[in-house]
Amino acid sequence: MKRRDELLVGFTILFAMAVVLGGALWLSERQLGQSGREYVARFNTVGGLSAGSPVVLRGVQVGRVQEIRLAEGNWVEAVLSVYPDVVIQGSPAVIAASASLFGEWQASIVSRDSPDISDPNVLRDLELAAAQGDDAWPGATLPDIGQLTAQAGRIASDIGAFSNRIQTAFNDEAVVHLQSSIRDFGQVAERINKFADQQTSILGDVADNVRVTSNVVTSTAEVLQRIMSRLDTATAEGELDSIVGNASQISADLRLAMAEFRDFVAMVNENAASFDRIIAGVDTVFSRLTEGTGTVARLVSDSTLYVEMSLAIQELRALLADIKENPRKYFKFSVF
Amino acid sequence: MYKALSLTVANWLSTLGSVGHFLSDVARSLRDVRIWTGLTVEQMRRIGVDSVPIALFISAFTGIVLSMQASYTLTGAVPLYFVGTAVGKGLLLELGPVLTGLVLAGRVGANIAAELGTMKVTEQVDALETLAYDPHSYLVVPRVIAASVMFPIVVAMASALGIVTGWLTAVNMLELSTFEFFKGIKMFYQDKDIWYGLVKSISFGFVIALVGCGMGLSVRGGAEGVGRATTKAVVYGSAMILVLDAVWAVTVL
Repeated sequence: MKRRDELLVGFTILFAMAVVLGGALWLSERQLGQSGREYVARFNTVGGLSAGSPVVLRGVQVGRVQEIRLAEGNWVEAVLSVYPDVVIQGSPAVIAASASLFGEWQASIVSRDSPDISDPNVLRDLELAAAQGDDAWPGATLPDIGQLTAQAGRIASDIGAFSNRIQTAFNDEAVVHLQSSIRDFGQVAERINKFADQQTSILGDVADNVRVTSNVVTSTAEVLQRIMSRLDTATAEGELDSIVGNASQISADLRLAMAEFRDFVAMVNENAASFDRIIAGVDTVFSRLTEGTGTVARLVSDSTLYVEMSLAIQELRALLADIKENPRKYFKFSVF
Repeated sequence: MYKALSLTVANWLSTLGSVGHFLSDVARSLRDVRIWTGLTVEQMRRIGVDSVPIALFISAFTGIVLSMQASYTLTGAVPLYFVGTAVGKGLLLELGPVLTGLVLAGRVGANIAAELGTMKVTEQVDALETLAYDPHSYLVVPRVIAASVMFPIVVAMASALGIVTGWLTAVNMLELSTFEFFKGIKMFYQDKDIWYGLVKSISFGFVIALVGCGMGLSVRGGAEGVGRATTKAVVYGSAMILVLDAVWAVTVL
């Protein structure tokens, strides 16, 4: 009997101990024989983070917070136990934040270079923690739900105050004025509505006209299309090429004629200048003739000169006749 | 009035003195190691192993009820995986140790009080004293040590079964997956959840056995006195469990 009691008690105790130890290991997610690697994160404040809080990497739990302790310089250090098979690369930082609305917190391992970290307060906290040295990862804490709720409460209070001010501004008199304004606005709207109806009618007529015009344009387009098809036919037979060729030849001839015409005009211009000079000379001659100055004018206006010239010419003719008759008288030729 | 009051105070002081005297006798009896070690294993079987079925029965239904009530309470914005949290925390911290303690207060406390009371009224205790044996070494210390050791064992098994039945209830009767249920348990788990309940149950076993032994050895009269002592053992033991539960909650949690 005593032996049986000992066996029963021993078995019961061993079974219970196995249940307790196995349950504790399983619930705490610890692994026997595999001690996690420990890292230290430095925070200004850890918020609701506590020993046992999960440590997550990109949303996957990779360990637990082992210890929270105060450190020098008003810093708080959190010892993170990370599973040994987890590889953490880059320059890690730790963000402590609420995991849900119900109070549990978690420590998220992130890269300091991650573009996801955009909160200026978080960036500032990380820089401050990193400036304390490389012996610990920098850490920052996001505001918890309570703080956000308090902020929301303050915003709600502001909205309440704003509402009260609006209520104060819109007293009975203001409401009456507002009602009057709304009534006036209704009348204006009614007039605008009537005007819009009229404009709608006019626009309907315009639309009809446009429709008719459109029909005309359509028929014109059809005619044009037929012309184009004919033109296309003509083009297909080579007539148009011939016309275009002729037109090109004509154009070249015209350009040549225009060039010659320009030369002709230039020459005419030069002749015109000479003509002007001739006219001016003639004008001068006629002026002097009119004035009676110069040889010709005197010849025209004075008969003495004419007479003398006639006499001289007669004498010259007599001389010439004498020379013809008696050349030895006037000319003598000898060889030696 | 004055006489009644003084009589009440005198009785209270007398009871207090008896308790102190009893505790000092028990403490002194701890020296008789060779005597009580040979008797402790049998008491461990009677107090612990024999109490396992009733403790498991109670905790199995406690897990079912806890799971159902948690799902009934946690509606709306609260995620359903908190059913796992409620079942785990509730059983490990409170319901496992306390309900098991109350059940064992009835079974073990009454058994000890009745047994020792009967020995007292049949003068078996006097016979031991006549033979120069310390009745505390033979009767009290083995039972107190056995209860202190076996209560956490029974509580651990009961709490584990309660979590299992709570999980089965959540999976089969609620729209909750196994992963979500145990996610809820693990989410807020701390090592203290386990050792707190076990340490608390040690104190429960110690007190229940001590109260049962004290009541049994203080029996006067015949069978009627044994009945009164048994009733007192259960009532005082249950009350002490609740008092100790509050003390642990205030001092440790």
